[in-house]
Amino acid sequence: MRLSLAVPSDNPWLTASVVVVVTGSFSALVQLPAWSQDPDLTAMNLMVTTLFVLTGLLLRREPGQRDVAWALIVAGLLRSLDFVDGWTGPPWALYAALFGAVDRIFGAWAILRYPNRSLLKHQRVFLILLAIWIVGGHLLIVVTSLPQWNGASAASWWPTLDANLPLNNAINYAVNGGEALFAVVLLVLLAMRLTRTTGLDRIVITPIIVAGLVATVAAMASATVQMLSTLNGTPNGVYLAESSLDLAVPLAFLVAATQRGLLLRNITGLTAEISAGADIDAVRGALRSALYDPTLEVVDLSVPDGEVDGAGDAGAVDMPPPGQAADRMVQFIRTEGGSPIAVVLADPALARYQHLFDVAVQTSGLALANAQIQAQAAREKLEQVRASRARIIDATLAERRRIERDLHDGVQQHLLGLAAQVTAAVGRTTDPVAHAAFLEMRDGLREVLAELRDLAHGIHPAVLTHGGLGPALEDVAERLPLPVRLTVPATRVSPAVEATAYYVACEALANAVKHAKASGVAVAVRIADAELTMEITDDGVGGASGASGARSSGQGLSNIVDRVNALDGEVTVVSPVGAGTRLEVRIPCG
Amino acid sequence: MRLAIAEDSGLFRASLRLLLESSGAEVTASVASGAELLAAIKADPPEVALLDIRMPPTFTDEGITTAARLRELHPAVGILMLSTYAEMSYASQLLDAVNAGVGYLLKDNVTDVETLMDSVARVADGGTVIDPTIVRSLLQRNRRPSKIDTLNERERAVLRCMAEGRSNLGIAKDLFISPRTVETHVTGIFLKLGLDQADTENNRVRAVLAFLRSTNTDG
Repeated sequence: MRLSLAVPSDNPWLTASVVVVVTGSFSALVQLPAWSQDPDLTAMNLMVTTLFVLTGLLLRREPGQRDVAWALIVAGLLRSLDFVDGWTGPPWALYAALFGAVDRIFGAWAILRYPNRSLLKHQRVFLILLAIWIVGGHLLIVVTSLPQWNGASAASWWPTLDANLPLNNAINYAVNGGEALFAVVLLVLLAMRLTRTTGLDRIVITPIIVAGLVATVAAMASATVQMLSTLNGTPNGVYLAESSLDLAVPLAFLVAATQRGLLLRNITGLTAEISAGADIDAVRGALRSALYDPTLEVVDLSVPDGEVDGAGDAGAVDMPPPGQAADRMVQFIRTEGGSPIAVVLADPALARYQHLFDVAVQTSGLALANAQIQAQAAREKLEQVRASRARIIDATLAERRRIERDLHDGVQQHLLGLAAQVTAAVGRTTDPVAHAAFLEMRDGLREVLAELRDLAHGIHPAVLTHGGLGPALEDVAERLPLPVRLTVPATRVSPAVEATAYYVACEALANAVKHAKASGVAVAVRIADAELTMEITDDGVGGASGASGARSSGQGLSNIVDRVNALDGEVTVVSPVGAGTRLEVRIPCG
Repeated sequence: MRLAIAEDSGLFRASLRLLLESSGAEVTASVASGAELLAAIKADPPEVALLDIRMPPTFTDEGITTAARLRELHPAVGILMLSTYAEMSYASQLLDAVNAGVGYLLKDNVTDVETLMDSVARVADGGTVIDPTIVRSLLQRNRRPSKIDTLNERERAVLRCMAEGRSNLGIAKDLFISPRTVETHVTGIFLKLGLDQADTENNRVRAVLAFLRSTNTDG
C-alpha cells in the first residue's frame, strides 16, 4: 500500500499498474492456502479487492471524497483478509470469525457517504450501530463456542468463555438475523438517498446506489445461508456469488467516473450549441441543462448601471439576486482581458463537480464574449447605417430644395415672362383670330403656372426654408377645412428636422381631416434641450394605429414613423376609439 | 402712372415692362435687385414700385426687406410685391413690414392686365391689396360652422371684394349694385362678424383678413 501511494500520481497508468501488482500480490498471499481448493472464489476475491482499491485511488482525486476513497480501499483489502483463515496458524481463524464481515461496514460507509462531504447524522448513527452489532455479535459467538464449531482447527487461538452449543446457536441466529435487519434498513436508506438527490448528483450516484442495493441484497442472502448452515460450514458457492455481486460496487463507482467524463463532453458540446448568437438567456438555459441545475442563475454584468445593482465584482458577490441564498456557488464569466461579463450563481452541490462547473462557465464565457463582440459589431454597423441614412436624408432634402429653386428661378420665371408677353400681345392685336389664339395661349399658360406652383410647393415649400416651421405650418393650416390651433416657436432648427416635422404635421393633419373626421386640431411644437417635440391632437374618431389592417390612416402613420426614425426620433400614438388621436413626435435637434 | 421694377429674371422683367408700358404706364427704372432699385429711384421716386419677393443677394425674402427700406426712405411710394408663392405667410410678412399703400400679387396675375393695373392704382392711392387667389382660398375653405356661414351670398361677394382692398364704390361697380346697397352689406357684414365699423379703408381689409385667418387658427 505505502509503495503504491508513494508513486507520483502524474502518471495514472503507472500508478494503476503498481496498485494492481501490489494489491493482487497481497490478496493472493492472504488467500494462498485456499487457492488450490477453490480457485474461482480466490480469483474473484482478488478481483474484488483490486477493483475496490483502484476505485478508491481514483476517488481520492475528487474533492472531499478522500474518506470515501479510504473506505473503499480498506473495504477492498478487508475483503481478501476475510479469507485469511485458509492459513493454518493460531490467529487467522479467530480474525476471520471476529472481523469477517467488517468490510461491509466500510462498503456501506462509502456508498452512503458518496458524493457528499460528510455523513448525515442518521447515517452516522446507523454505521456505528452496524459496527457495534457486527463486531460485538461475532465476539459473543466466539466466546460462546469452540473453534471446531466454527470450522477452525482446535489449535487456533480462541477465547472461549463458556462453550454452550444451544446458547451459541441462539446468538448465531440473533446476530445474523440482526445483520439482515440492518441490511433492510440500509436498503431503505439507499432508496431514500436516491429519491432525495437531484441534479448532477443523481446522475452520478444512481449506479452506486443500485450497486449498493445489489450488494446489500447479496449480503443478506449470504448471511441467511450462513445462519442456516452454521453447523455444516457455509458452502463456498455462496461466498463466490456474494463476491461477484460485490464487484458491482467498484464498477458502479467507475461508471460514475465515466459518467462525469460524458458530462464533461456534454458541456464541451455546449459551445456549439450556444455560440451562434448566444445571449444571457441562451447561456443560462444551456448551463442549466448541462449542469442539471434548474436553480442556476446567470446575471449580466455588461448591462448599464442601474439595471443590475452593483454591477462591479464586489457588488455582485456581496449581493446575489434576491431570493437566493448567499451560499450559492459563485463564478465570474470574464473576457479574455479579464473584465467580468456575467456572474454565474449555482447550487453549492456543484462544488463536487468544480472541474465540470469551471469548464461549463469557461465555455459559456467564450460564447458570451463572442456574442458581445458580435453585438459590438452590429452596433457599429448600425451606427454606420444611421450616419449614411442621415447623409441620404440631408442629400435628398438638399436635392428637393435645389429642384424647387430651379423651378422657381428658371422655368417659372421663363413661363411668366412668356405669359406677360402673350398678355401684351393680346392688347396690341386687332386681328380677331390672333386675339382669340393669344387669349387661349394666355389661359393655358396660366393653368400651367398654377400647376407648376403647386408642383414646386409639393417638392419643397419655399416658406419652410425662408420662414421656418411656424409660417410653413400656418400656410398648411390655412388650406385645411377645419380650425387648427398652432403653437410654434420662431426658433429655427436644422433643415432636415424642420422638413421632417413639417411633413409629419402635414400627414397627421391630412389624417385628421380625411380619416379621423375631426372638428378641430391642435399642433404644439416645443424646442428645448436639443430636442424638437411636436404634439398633434385632434378630437376625431380615434382608433388610428401604425399597424396594418387598421383604418387606412395606418399607411400615413407608418410613413410618419419612418421619417421620424430616420432622424433617430420617436413617435407615440395614442388613439383610443372614439376619443381622438394624439400623436407625439420627438426628434433630436442638437 | 410712373412705375419702377425690381425683378431678377431678365425675361420676366422685360415682359412686365412691355406689358406695363403697353397699358399706358411709364417705367422709370427696371433693375435686377433691391439695392439697385433703391439707388435708381433715389433722385426721382416713382408712384409705385413693383418688387419681386425673391431676389439677390439672399434669394429668400429680399423683396420684403427692400419694401421696408423703401417705405422708410420714400414713404409716398406705393409697393406692389410680385411673387410666385401663393402662401398667406408671405403676404402677412409684407403687411407686417409695410402698413398702407401695399399689395401682394401673384405673378400669374400679370396675365390679367386689368387686375394688375387696378392693383397698381389702388396701392398708389394708399390702399391695401391682397391677391384674389389667396383671398379666395381663405374664403373657400370648407370650414366648420362659423360666423362666416351667417353671411348671405351677396354679403360674401362683398366681403371678398373688401378683402381684395376695393372701396365701396369699386365694389358697387364690380357687383353692379348701388354704393348705398354696398354700404348696407358692409354694415351687415361688420355686424355679423363683430368687427369695428369705424375702421378706415385700409384697416378694413386688414381687419377682414385678420378675421378670415383667425377663424382658422383660433376656431
